[in-house]
Amino acid sequence: MPEPVTKTMNMIEAINSALDVMLAKDPEVVIMGEDVGYFGGVFRATAGLQKKHGKTRVFDTPISECGIIGVGVGMAAYGLRPVPEIQFADYIYPGLDQLVSEAARLRYRSANDFICPMTVRSPFGGGIFGGQTHSQSPESMFTHVCGIKTVIPATPYDAKGLLIAAIEDNDPVVFFEPKRIYNGPFTGYYDRPVEPWSKHEGSAVPEGYYRIDLGKASVVQEGETVTVLTYGTMVHVVKAVVAEHGIDAEIIDLRTLLPLDIETIEASVKKTGRCMVVHEATRTSGFGAELAAQVQERCFYHLEAPVERVTGFDTPYPHSLEWAYFPGPVRLARAFDKIMKD
Amino acid sequence: MPKFTFNLPDIGEGIAEAEIVAWHVKVGDNISEDQPLADMMTDKATVEMESPVSGVVTKVAGEAGDVIAIGAMLVEIEVAGDASTEASDAIKSAAEPTLAAVVEDENPHAPEAVAVAELIPAAVAPAPLQPAIPADTAANKFTASPAVRQRAKDLGVDLTDVKAAGGHIRHADLDAFLTYGTQMGYRPAHANMRREDEAVKVIGMRRRIADNMAASKRHIPHFTYVEEIDVTAIEAMRADLNANRGAKPKLTMLPMLIVAICKTIPQFPMINARFDDEAGVVTRHGAVHLGMATQTDAGLMVPVIRDAQDRNIWQLATEITRLAEAARSGSAKSEELSGSTLTITSLGPLGGIATTPVINRPEVAIIGPNKIVERPMFVGDTIEARKLMNLSISCDHRVVDGWDAANYVQALKKIIETPVLLFAD
Repeated sequence: MPEPVTKTMNMIEAINSALDVMLAKDPEVVIMGEDVGYFGGVFRATAGLQKKHGKTRVFDTPISECGIIGVGVGMAAYGLRPVPEIQFADYIYPGLDQLVSEAARLRYRSANDFICPMTVRSPFGGGIFGGQTHSQSPESMFTHVCGIKTVIPATPYDAKGLLIAAIEDNDPVVFFEPKRIYNGPFTGYYDRPVEPWSKHEGSAVPEGYYRIDLGKASVVQEGETVTVLTYGTMVHVVKAVVAEHGIDAEIIDLRTLLPLDIETIEASVKKTGRCMVVHEATRTSGFGAELAAQVQERCFYHLEAPVERVTGFDTPYPHSLEWAYFPGPVRLARAFDKIMKD
Repeated sequence: MPKFTFNLPDIGEGIAEAEIVAWHVKVGDNISEDQPLADMMTDKATVEMESPVSGVVTKVAGEAGDVIAIGAMLVEIEVAGDASTEASDAIKSAAEPTLAAVVEDENPHAPEAVAVAELIPAAVAPAPLQPAIPADTAANKFTASPAVRQRAKDLGVDLTDVKAAGGHIRHADLDAFLTYGTQMGYRPAHANMRREDEAVKVIGMRRRIADNMAASKRHIPHFTYVEEIDVTAIEAMRADLNANRGAKPKLTMLPMLIVAICKTIPQFPMINARFDDEAGVVTRHGAVHLGMATQTDAGLMVPVIRDAQDRNIWQLATEITRLAEAARSGSAKSEELSGSTLTITSLGPLGGIATTPVINRPEVAIIGPNKIVERPMFVGDTIEARKLMNLSISCDHRVVDGWDAANYVQALKKIIETPVLLFAD
C-alpha cells in the first residue's frame, strides 16, 4: 500500500481537516457554535468549512451554550451527528445540564432506543495569558459523568485521528483541545522562543480520512525509572523537562481520559515502580486523583514511592501569577527530585 | 645427585594393581626416611607406603583415584645429600615472606580505621544520620514503600529486623540485611533452600564397594527369607552373663548369634560355602570364617573372624570389637579383610523389621538380624510381653534352595529360642 499523502499541519489545521473530511464523508455531520460559520471560529478551526459545505452543515448559533448543546442532543436523537463547538471550555458550564442529564443518559434512559452521537469540541487549558475565564481545565467534571467520553489530543496527528473517531462514535464525546499548543508544542519554558509544529513529527498529518481509536494511550517516550501520566499541553512540558534534566522517564500521553487505557499505565508503573501525574487542572478531585487511585489499586506492591501529583493549585486560574500556577519546569523538576529520592 | 625411584611393591597376594587413595607428599617436598608417601588401596586393604630414603620428591605417579600397576614408579626422590639441605633452606626462605605477607594482608584497613575514629573528637563528630532505634515497642514501627515491603515478604524478611540508613527502609537497607541478617539467623524464604548439586567422584573404597555390589547382584540370583525369632530367653541369658562378666568384655547379641550359627552350620554345609561360578565348583567350608559387615567413614568393610567355630563367646566379643576398630581406623590387615565363608550384617537398633542383604560374593549366603522389639505374644492361653527379632537370610539360589535356607533358619531359631542348647555339645 502506498504511504498516505501527508502534509505538515498545526493542530488547528489538523482539526479543520478532520471536520472537513467528516463533513464530506457523512451527510449527517453538522457543525454549529458561536462564530464557527461565516467567521470560521475564533481559533480558525472551522475556517472555510461553511463556504465549502454550506450553511445547513456549518452554522452560527446565538451565544447560549445551554442552547447549543441542547440542540445538539435533539439533533443527535433524531439521527444527525452534530459537532457543536463551545468557544472556550470556561463557557461550557451553562451546557452542563444538557450534557450530564440528557446527552450522557439518553441511551440509558430510552433503553437503547435513542443514542446521542454528538461530539462537543472545546478549546481548554492555560498558558495563553487568558486569566480565569479563558484558561480553565474542567476535564474531570466530565470524566466523573458516566456516559460521556473525554478525549484530549496532544499533537496535530492525534487531534485529527481522534476527532474523526469521536465523531464516528455513537455516544457523546467531549473533545478538549489544548489551545496553548494549537500553533506549536509549548515546552513550559515560557521565556524561550516557541517552536512551530513543523519541527515536531506529530505535525505530519495525512490529508484524507484516518482514525485513532478512543481509549488507547500513547507511550510518547520509553523509560525505566518513573512513569509520567499526562495529556494535552503538559505532554510537551514534561518531555522538555525530562530531556533538560536527563531523567529516564516513561511518558504516557493518555489521549483518552475516559475510557482510560489502564493496561498501558499498569504495565508501565509495574516496570518503573514510580508514578507521577501531571495536569494543569486544579488538584482536588482532579483527574490525577483518579489516576493515583487506580495506580495504587493495581500496582501497590510495585510502588517505590507515593504517587506524585503535579497540578494547578486549588484557586481560580490567576492572570498575573500564571507561571506560578502552571505546573511548569521548576515544579516538575522538584517533583522528579522528590519521587526519585523515595 | 642420585635419584631414587620408589616402585609400588607387591602389597597383597596376587594383586596386579592398586589405587592411589591419598597423597601425603607432593613434588618439591623435602621428606625424611619412613615418612608416609601415599595410601594405596588394593582389593583387600588400604596400605600406607613409606619412603625408604630421605630427599626431595621430584615426581609422583598420578593423582588420587589413579590406578598404578604393581612394580611401576610411584614416587621419584632426589636422594638426600649436601644439596638437599640447601634445597630445604631455599624452600624455607621462599615460604617465609609469603606467610608474612598473608598475615599482614589479613586486615589491612583495621589500623587506619582506628586512627580515623580517634581523630574525630566526640564533640564535633557529625550526628548520626540514622535516628537511634528505640529498644521498646516503638522499634516495631517502620516505614517502607510497598515495593520494599513486597520484596521483604518475598524474601521472608521481617522488616522490624532491618536497620534503615535513612528515614525509611529502602532496597539498599534490605540488601544490606541480606548480608548481616544471616548472623541474626535469617535464612531466605525461597532462595537457597535447595542445596547446590554436587558431583561426587566414585573412587577408592566407594568404587570398590560399587563394583562388588554390582557384581554380586549381576551374577547371583538372590532370594531372601525372613523369620521371627523369640529372643526373650537369650536376652535374659545375655543380661545374666553381662551381670557376671567381671573383667570380660560386654556381650552384645552378635557373639551369641555367631555361636548359634557355628553350632547349626555343620548340619547345613551348603550355607557356609564359596561358589567359583567360572569353574562351576562350590566349596563347602569346614571352618566358619565369619565376615562381619562394618560401617566405616570410608564405607562398608567386611573384616573376618577366623575360625569362629573355635572361639568361645567371650573370645568372639573381644575379636568383634578389635576387628571393628581396626576396620574403622583403616589399620585392618589385608588377610583380616579377606577369606570369609559366610557374612553377617547387623544394623543393631537401626535394623528395621526386615532387610534383604546383598551376598558378599563368592559366598552363597548372608545373614541379617533385624532389631529387637517387645511385643505382646500368646504363650499358651495368656498374652505375655516377649522380645522378638526378625532374622533375614539372603541366599544364592543357584546353589542354595529355599528349602535349605528355611530349614537352616528354623534350626537357628530353635537354638536361639532355647539358648541352653548353645552350650550343649
